[in-house]
This record gives sequence, structure tokens and C-alpha cells, in this order.
Amino acid sequence: MLVFVIRRLLVTVPVLLAASLLSFLLIDVTGDPLADLLVQQPPPSEEVIEAERERLYMDRPVYERYWLWLTGIGGNGDIGLLRGEFGPSVRGPAFDVGAEVAARMGVTLRLVAAAVLLALGLAVFTGVVSAMRQYSAVDYTLTFIGFLALAMPTFWLGALIKEAGVWANGQLGATVFYTIGDSAADTRGMGLWERIADAGGHLVLPTLALMLTGYAAWSRYQRTAMLEVLNSDYVRLAHAKGLPRRTVMRRHALRTALIPLTSVAAVTIAEILAGTVLIETVFQWRGLGTLLVEAIRTSDAYVLMGWLMLAGTLVVLANLAADLLYGVLDPRIRYE
Amino acid sequence: MAGAAEQAEAVLRVEDLHVSFPTEDGRVRAVRGLTLGLRPGEALGIVGESGSGKSVASLAVMGLLPRGAQVTGSARVVGREVLHLPDEELSRVRGERIAMVFQDPLTSLNPVYTVGRQIAEAVRAHRAVSEREALARAVELLAEVGIPQPRERVRSYPHELSGGMRQRVVIAIAMANEPDVIIADEPTTALDVTVQAQVLEALEAARRRTGAALVLITHDLGVVAGHVDRVAVMYAGRLVEQGPVEEVFERPRMPYTLGLLGSQPRLDQGRSLRLAPISGAPPTLLAPPPGCPFAPRCPMAEARCTAEEPPLREVSGGHLAACHFAERLEGRTPQEVFARAREPGERAPAPSPAAGAALLRAEGLVKHFPVRSKGVVRRRIGDVHAVCGVSLELREHETLALVGESGCGKSTTARLLLRLLAPDAGRVEFEGADIAALPRAELRRLRQDMQIVFQDPFASLDPRMTVSEIVAEPLRIHGLYRGHGGAADVERLLSTVGLGPEHGARYPHEFSGGQRQRIGIARALALRPRTLILDEPVSALDVSIQAGIINLLEDLQEEFGLAYLFVSHDLSVVRHIADRVAVMYLGKVVETGAADRVFASAAHPYTQTLVSAIPLPDPRKERRRQRILVQGDVPSPSAPPSGCRFRTRCPKFADELSERERARCVEEEPPLKARVPGGHLTACHYAQERSLV
Repeated sequence: MLVFVIRRLLVTVPVLLAASLLSFLLIDVTGDPLADLLVQQPPPSEEVIEAERERLYMDRPVYERYWLWLTGIGGNGDIGLLRGEFGPSVRGPAFDVGAEVAARMGVTLRLVAAAVLLALGLAVFTGVVSAMRQYSAVDYTLTFIGFLALAMPTFWLGALIKEAGVWANGQLGATVFYTIGDSAADTRGMGLWERIADAGGHLVLPTLALMLTGYAAWSRYQRTAMLEVLNSDYVRLAHAKGLPRRTVMRRHALRTALIPLTSVAAVTIAEILAGTVLIETVFQWRGLGTLLVEAIRTSDAYVLMGWLMLAGTLVVLANLAADLLYGVLDPRIRYE
Repeated sequence: MAGAAEQAEAVLRVEDLHVSFPTEDGRVRAVRGLTLGLRPGEALGIVGESGSGKSVASLAVMGLLPRGAQVTGSARVVGREVLHLPDEELSRVRGERIAMVFQDPLTSLNPVYTVGRQIAEAVRAHRAVSEREALARAVELLAEVGIPQPRERVRSYPHELSGGMRQRVVIAIAMANEPDVIIADEPTTALDVTVQAQVLEALEAARRRTGAALVLITHDLGVVAGHVDRVAVMYAGRLVEQGPVEEVFERPRMPYTLGLLGSQPRLDQGRSLRLAPISGAPPTLLAPPPGCPFAPRCPMAEARCTAEEPPLREVSGGHLAACHFAERLEGRTPQEVFARAREPGERAPAPSPAAGAALLRAEGLVKHFPVRSKGVVRRRIGDVHAVCGVSLELREHETLALVGESGCGKSTTARLLLRLLAPDAGRVEFEGADIAALPRAELRRLRQDMQIVFQDPFASLDPRMTVSEIVAEPLRIHGLYRGHGGAADVERLLSTVGLGPEHGARYPHEFSGGQRQRIGIARALALRPRTLILDEPVSALDVSIQAGIINLLEDLQEEFGLAYLFVSHDLSVVRHIADRVAVMYLGKVVETGAADRVFASAAHPYTQTLVSAIPLPDPRKERRRQRILVQGDVPSPSAPPSGCRFRTRCPKFADELSERERARCVEEEPPLKARVPGGHLTACHYAQERSLV
């Protein structure tokens, strides 16, 4: 197992390297970090531009910048992914990209974790119900909801849910659903529990909106996997043994039908990360998603590259976790 | 026969059972009015071809049919009605009173739990015992069904066990709570014959141990003959004959049973007797015809048969048959009843094996397949030794059978002969020319002389081509379509294999398995080859259909002077069709010679176990026969044993040889040579001819 983990980690190195090269080159050719500065009125002096160019390492050739961005060797100590530095921002020398990313990651991961957990739970539940009552009214209803969620773009769903929250608040005459921000504007004077309750309240609608993407796909997969298992010989044998129906469903059917979901869920993590960009924008959260949007708007090259690498690493890690989980769930797969 | 006393003591009593399924085309009436009784400890065989309703009936009794199935009638287990029981009560009967063994051992066990846990679970479903006690019982049960080292095996996952072992685990689960009835639904159909013998032995052990009555459902008349007291024959969802097994096999009173017996090739019959196939196919169960369901295929049918469905009536003590004219079958053979006027019951004598010149010759063929490691690099970590030094000779106008169990390399050898695969070593000659040395164009031309018929008639025909296109394709590929007469030639080919010209415009899915195999044969014949390689051509077909194909192959050989290489695991079929046989084990030929000789006096212990494992459809003979059971499973072909490859399973090696004699088996590989003057070739140091049929 340990050997497998090490081998599997080694394989991720070339994947991440390729990802870094692509992220770097694509960002590098699509925008100039100095563009905003150059069109400022009145035009800044030549020295200011030159100093900014040097601070952002734009005076060096592409290959050198890529190397610098990766390793930080020959830089000013504010760059180099391997040293944990994201690089300088166009927002000025005082702006610490690393600290900003860390702060916003907490907010976003909160949202992603809640959405993934809720989506998984609901998907497994409705998938199983759909399969056990195949071709019933319940099955058709759940199938309809699933396809509706699949067909609707995330931003549109997000906007609808937000509007619904606003409408509900209006009807009730009180703020029951929070529709703006990741927490109250002013959290001073709040105790720990109040802060948690506040953050939780703000999570409700965005989580609902973000969850639907994953839920729709996963519940379909779960239904198919469950149907396959329900028709299998070993479930028939479990019935023939005289096990109660509930035990057969839980121990023999559900247990095996969960295995394929792990790998499907890992792949969908990437989609959910993409979804956070839209959902955070709709609900005006200060998370990683909105950081990306701000960085694109200001051609903040190093923030963009760092963001892409971070997302890439998360996806790679999610898949690694799924692979390892597979080995635990399915004894036929043993890693040497 | 259902007296009140008997009814009371029956452990299973099925009365007027009807099962139907809704489909898009209408209701399929799978079981129609089945009535059966089973006495305590009795073994009842239910025989029928696919679609006869035998499995559906057993699933209905167990309450395991999919939702949507409509079940009426009554089924009582030890006096208690089980049809339409609420789930909770049904689960108290299942496993405790009535247990089941399914057909496919590879899918019957849950892959994510150890076999010990799955057996323990069955124990704990009905007994208030701890997990530890239940596991101890699992070890006992594994020992009882003959699994070696049960203490270790109890911790194995299903995928770590072979098919035969897994089926024995399923049997252990079935006997866990000492049920009154065990239903075994085709328990050995998916297994090799030597493993089949082991599993049937385990089933017998389970019966002895628990005193359970057995319902053995199978299509194999031989399996039934040796293992049951009474037999029931099903056709088109109905019971058509029932009685003591000797009575039914020796004096069948329903033409269908007689036909089944006549279409079954037998190991104890030579080649002279022609098989008597039943023409046509079973009726669709959507709208069963009025009258006798067998009437359309019955040579004895009269007007009354199509008008009035014959009831199941007693024809002699305890023997029931559903035929208006049961008495007319007195003393008649299947050949008399089923052979059509133009088909003689006797076959022309086979040409003497030495007569023909060698057409196809293989020498020292070797084929290894690499086993690669998982992961990125995929290093070669070993080899599967599929074929190791096989030499064969196929002569003109003869049938050479290549027999052996799955994984012995027989199909790989066939592919090497056709050069669909390139051998790692050795040479293949066709009429003296080394086919490896031939230029591409020559090889292509040569392929016209060597054609192949595949096992699976469903997968080997392109579903998007019409039958005419399929049959014409080889002609078009070789540019011979016009030269051979185009559409007229295709029609001639279809009629040669017993299909009409009107079939040409249809697609493969419109045909039954037997008809598809005929299409496959017509395609193989299109180029007028001199050799056909037949790779298990009848093993996917029902017995009554299989007989028709075998007869067709025999006629074609007669008419066109073809040479056949017949690859098969079914020794009964081989006995019937082959002039010579080569028996393969783990990539090597262990015995070869004239078919009569090899079967009558097998000298290699492996051939002996194979021959003795083939059940005969004759209850008296079958019970008296000497059995040689092999232990264990075929070793992995990636690490074959040293010396003689069969020694790890050889009964002779285990029981008869001295320490010194064994050393020779371990160290020295026995060459294939005649062991007695004028005898056939055997690869065993201590070969000894034995008669086992």
C-alpha cells in the first residue's frame, strides 16, 4: 500500500509539471500585467514603469520567468511555488498573495465541503430510492429533477435560488435566508457560536446552488450502479439465504453500489471548483472564486497562475484519495 | 399419484403453478400449470432446454422473481404455503427450509466480503449465535464440501477462489441451516467436466449430511441420470413427462423426451449411429398454440394433437406423460421416430484414419502471452504458457478433435494453425508449404482453403449485414463473387446448410442460435475450403438443436470431402464426430490417437479422469461406472509444474506410485510416444490403458 501511494504520488509530478507549464504559458500570452499602468492618466513616469516591470519580473525572458515562478531561484524572495510563494501582485508590493489565498481558501473550502457532502448524501439516497422503485412515480420525479439540475447552468440556478431567498425574506418580513456575502459584514462582538451560526446561515443558499451540479450527475450514477447490483446473482443469493430485505439492501446492494461513485465523485470535484467561481460571484462572497475573477480583470498574472495550480493540485489530490478509497472498498483491487 | 398421505409428507408440493411476465410484445407465459411433489430426502431432476420454464419455476418457489412477474397457484414447503408470503415471513423460510444454488459461481458471491463472512451470515440469519461461532461453523461447512485448508480459505475473498471452489462455497451456504429442500439450478453448467464431477460430489455430500431433498435443474441428461431418483421433463412451460429415472430413460412415453435422448451424443456409442435431431424450434410463449406444445415438431402428430392439449396422465406405475399417443412409443427408438425418410439412421463407415494424405501439419508450436505489471511502466513480469510444443497432423477428409478443459490452449492452437496468431516457435505447413514463409498474397490465397466457424453464433455475425451479405462477404473479399455465380451461389450455399433463399434478405437477429450457426457455416463454406476449423461450434446450443448441426457437419464432410479440426470440451460430441483426437492439458498434447481407441482404452491419467467425468445419459450404467476424481484445479499456466504438468492433480501420482517413481514425474517430462506396440501416443511415464466408458 505504502509503495503504491509513493508510486502514485510520483506519477502526479509530471502531471503537475505539465499543468504548470500550460497555466504559465496560457496566462503569459493572454494578458500584460503592466497594461493598466501603461494606460493610466496622467501617464506615469518612465522610472515608475521600469520599477514596476522589474518588480513583476517582466524584464526577464519567458523561460527564465517560468523557472523563477517554479523555483524562486534568482528572485527577490517573493516568488517560487516550491518555496510556497505565489509571486508579486499588480496590487503593489504590500499585497501578500499567499495570505490572501489562504484567507479566501477557508471560505471556499467551507462551501465546497458542504456542497460535496450534501450532494453525496442526497445523491446516494435518491439514487437508491429510484433504483428500488424503478419506473415508479417517485423514480420518474427524481429523474426529472436530476435532469433539470443537469440542464440548468450553475449561474442561472444560483441566481434563481438567490432571488427565491430574497422573495422569501420579503414575504416573511425578516432575513431568514442570507443572500449576500459569506458572513455578516460586521462580526465584531460576536462569540464563537454566533460566528459559526452566522457562517452557517450564509452557507445555506450558495451550498444549495452549488450542490445541484454534483447531485444531478451522482444520483444518476448511483441509480445505475444500484440497479446493476440489485439484478446481480449475489443479491439474489443473499435473499435466498433468508436475510431480511433491509439487510440485503444495506449490506449487499448499497455497499457494492457505492464503489463506482468514488471515482465519479473525484472527477466531478473539478466541476464543483469551477462552480464556486460562479456561485461566489452571484452571492458576492470573498472566496477563491471571486479572487480569480478579480485577478482576471486586473491581469494579475501570478495570482491567476497560482490559482490554476492550486485548483489543479486539489483535483489531483481528490483523484488520489478516490484511488486509495477504491482499494479499501473493493478487495479485488490490491495495490502492491 | 397424489394420495392424501403422500401429500402430507411432501417437503415441497407445487400445484398448478403459473408464471407470466409482461413484455412489450405481450404476456410471456413462462410456466403453465406445473404440479410437482418432492418426498423427504428424494432427488428430483428437472430437465428442459432453454426457455422451458424450469428456472423460472424454481425462482417462483423461492420468491425471487423480479417484480412484475405474475405468479398464481400454490407452492407448499413442509406444508406451509410460500407463494405471496410477506417478505419478512418468506425470509424465515428461505435458507432455513429451502435453499438454492445458482448457475454461475463467478457472480453468486459478493466480491467485497470474505467467503467465511458470507457463510456465517447465512448461519446467523436463522440462528442466534455469535459471529465467532458462525465462523467456526463456516470452517466446518467448507470442510464438508471438500475445500482443502478450510481454516485459511474462510478468510479468502471470492475472487481468490476458482469457479469450482466458489460453487462449493455456495453449496456450503445452501446447507448451512440443514434445509429440507435444496434447489440447484444448473449448478455445473458453467464449469469444466472434471470440476463438474467435484461439485456434484459436494452436492451429494450436502444431501447426505443434511438429509435434504434435492431438485436438480439441468439441461444435461447425463447429469440427471447419475444423480436423481425421479426425473421431470419440461417443455414450453409445461411438465410433459415425469417418473422414476430408469423408467423415463429406458421407456420414454413422450416423443419430446425420446427426441432429447436421441439427439444427445453419447460417450458409450460409436460413430455409426446417426443422431436424431428434433426439427424446428420450441414455440414462443407469447401465445402458446392450442393443443400439444410439441405438436409442430412431433413426427407422430395428428389432428387431435393440435386441437386438444394432452393432460399429464399415468402410463404405468408412477410414470406420467402428456401425450395422446404415449402407448405408441412402446419399444421404438429415437432414430425410428425422428429420422426423416431421406435420412438413414446409419452412417456410412468412416474412412480409415491412415487413408488420407496430411493436409495441415503443425510441428512444435509454441505461444506465450506476456503478463505485464500494472502501472505506468508495465514491465513483463511473466508469461502465460498457452501452447508449449504442440504437433498435430490433419489429414484429408478426416476429423481431428482437439479436446481439453478451459485454459488448456486448444483455441490458441486453432488460431495458430490459421495464422490468426503468429507462433513464437514451430511451423505450420499446409500441403507441405510453410505458411510462415509465404508472401502475403500467397497466404491470402491459402486462406480460401482454411476457414473457421466460431463458438458464439450471436457474436460472430455482423448484426448490420443481411444474411446474404454475410455469406457473400468472403467471396467479395477474394474477388470471387461473380466468378462463383453471385447471388445464385449464395442461395445454393444457404440451401446447403438447410436455409431457404427467403432467409437471405433478413438480419441475424431474426434467427435462432441454431440457424445462426448454420449461417456461420455457410459463410465458412463460401470459398469452397478444404479445411474447416470448428471452434466449439455447438457448445452454445441446446441439445436438440446441436444434433441438427452435428448431422449437418457430417453431411457436409461427406459431400465436399472436408477435413475438420474440431475444437471442443465436450467429449460426447467429440466421440460422435471425430476420427482422431488429441487431448490437451496446460498447453501440451498428453494423448492422441484414433478416437475409438483413445476413448475405449485411455492410457493417460488425465484422459482417464476426463472420460470418467463425462456423465452417460443412462441411469443404470452411470451408477455402476468407475469414477476417477481429480483433486484441485488446473494450475496457473504462467507457472506450470516441472516434469509432467498433470502430476499436481494426477490420481495415479497421488495414490499408486512409489516415492522413486514420483521423482521421475517431477524431474522428467514424459515424451508423447506409443507405450504399447501399435498403441496410440501417450505422454505418461506410467501409462496404463483402462476402459472407463
